[in-house]
Amino acid sequence: MATRLQFENNCEVGVFSKLTNAYCLVAIGGSESFYSIFETELADVIPVVKTSIGGTRIIGRLCAGNKNGLLVPHTTTDQELQHLRNSLPDSVVVQRIEERLSALGNCIACNDHVALAHTDLDRETEELIADVLGVEVFRQTIAGNILVGSYCALTNRGGLVHPHTSIEDLDELSTLLQVPLVAGTVNRGSEVIAAGMTVNDWTAFCGSDTTATELSVIESVFKLREAQPSAIVDKMRKSLIDSYV
Amino acid sequence: MTPNVKRPRRKLVARPVTFSPFARSAAHLASAYMIKRQMIENKLHESCQHTPNGKCCGQRNIDETDSDSDEESSEGVVQADFAFFDPKPDDFHGVKTLVQTFLDNEEWNLSGFVDLILEQTTVGTVVKLEDEDDDGLFSVVTALNLGRYKASDIYMQLALELDHKCMKELEEYILSVCHESNLVEQLRLLFSKRARDVGLLVSQRVVNLPPQLLPPLYDALFDEVSWAVEDEPTEELRNSFRFKTYLIVTKIYKHKKANGKLEKKADNEEEPVIYVKAEDELFHELSSWSFSFPLKIQHVTSSEATEELRINGVGYGSRSRQNPHIPTAVALSDRR
Repeated sequence: MATRLQFENNCEVGVFSKLTNAYCLVAIGGSESFYSIFETELADVIPVVKTSIGGTRIIGRLCAGNKNGLLVPHTTTDQELQHLRNSLPDSVVVQRIEERLSALGNCIACNDHVALAHTDLDRETEELIADVLGVEVFRQTIAGNILVGSYCALTNRGGLVHPHTSIEDLDELSTLLQVPLVAGTVNRGSEVIAAGMTVNDWTAFCGSDTTATELSVIESVFKLREAQPSAIVDKMRKSLIDSYV
Repeated sequence: MTPNVKRPRRKLVARPVTFSPFARSAAHLASAYMIKRQMIENKLHESCQHTPNGKCCGQRNIDETDSDSDEESSEGVVQADFAFFDPKPDDFHGVKTLVQTFLDNEEWNLSGFVDLILEQTTVGTVVKLEDEDDDGLFSVVTALNLGRYKASDIYMQLALELDHKCMKELEEYILSVCHESNLVEQLRLLFSKRARDVGLLVSQRVVNLPPQLLPPLYDALFDEVSWAVEDEPTEELRNSFRFKTYLIVTKIYKHKKANGKLEKKADNEEEPVIYVKAEDELFHELSSWSFSFPLKIQHVTSSEATEELRINGVGYGSRSRQNPHIPTAVALSDRR
């Protein structure tokens, strides 16, 4: 299900939070209501961790991660790194990387299997992404924009990209990523998709300016309507149910 | 009866359109030099007929400013033609950015408030660049009737509950920050019984908007208010623009006085209050009453300002008739 919320009157929730299938990071500051909305939705399923990165609150745009790992920029302090390692599940590898392009959230869009990377990313970084996150990395652009992490929101079930992406690009990306893609907007026409929303396999959080149309597109492309947090039920559905009468 | 309403368009050659801090400071310097240069050029035109001395002086000055302004003007001075437009739904994001800190860092239905501003196309102006396809908004000015957003009966109350929460939140915020008890009573009256006669004046703009735009901008607003009184299709709408009181919420810098200690730089020459918007000083002088309250939000200011000045918000109300600076408003109240 998709929820609408805002961070201190600001509808760019993808900037102040990072949501994956194994954990959720939320920025410090902002009213308690921001944090508690995440808590109510995600409560017992995954840990919700309050943090800052490099002393800033724009954590969603600085880090990139999936259920296997989390990549943080070199600006992350040792205390923050330790706090993340302590609070996140043991299966999640937290790695600080030395990369000139430190806004990793803007440069990398990833789900649990595949990642899109900024074209100017270092070779070492690309290898680290493949190792830590356990994904296949593709250097791509989206509608001519090299900041793939900003203009694309990606999960294992679907993806939403910049509204001006051409049909050919959509098809090409869809084949690469092996998920259905849709070109759309969030927050009443904002093109910066990943800044305006954050999403995982069963839930999404969008800025409060998001219109009902945008919300329904999001719910349909990410298949959130019938989504359940339990992975077992989904994966084993076919073997559990013999036939529908 | 819809007459041809002529929009007072003022095309002014104005300075930069860029937004980085460097460009902003370059802009301030450049506009200061350009204005000085124009003044000197005018003086030169006048005085060249008269004294040869004057001409020489003028030329020397121009040379000075020439060399200085050349350095500045080569670095990012852009010619721009500004134009005034009616508010449109497309202006949502621009207006929202400008109105972001209207109520300090209070969490309220800001989007709803912006929607109300954009709905009112007859009174209200947005300042954009001359060519239609640029969406960058530089200023928004409007006057909203507080009474219009109040429910008159229970059904409307239920219907308006969702839409106009923003006006209620705004009124509650103003009541909560006002610490002067005599004014609180007056404010309560303004927000309830006399809400129909109160206009909330919203005027927000980018910091480096050329000041030459301001007189036409405010003229436009008050002209539109007086036209609306005559031209609006329904009686109710016409009456809703007969403002008896304007309410303004704005930001000023107040001099911090450390207890007992005298600042070395401070003192008598320093202004006790610095107005972010120049017209606020005039409004403040002419207002019937005002109060100030401290703002919680951290603003980006020069280091000198943060040390010495405390940022305050000021709310003031002004009875239209007492405001000679706004001739159309005076005319309105006289008609009654």
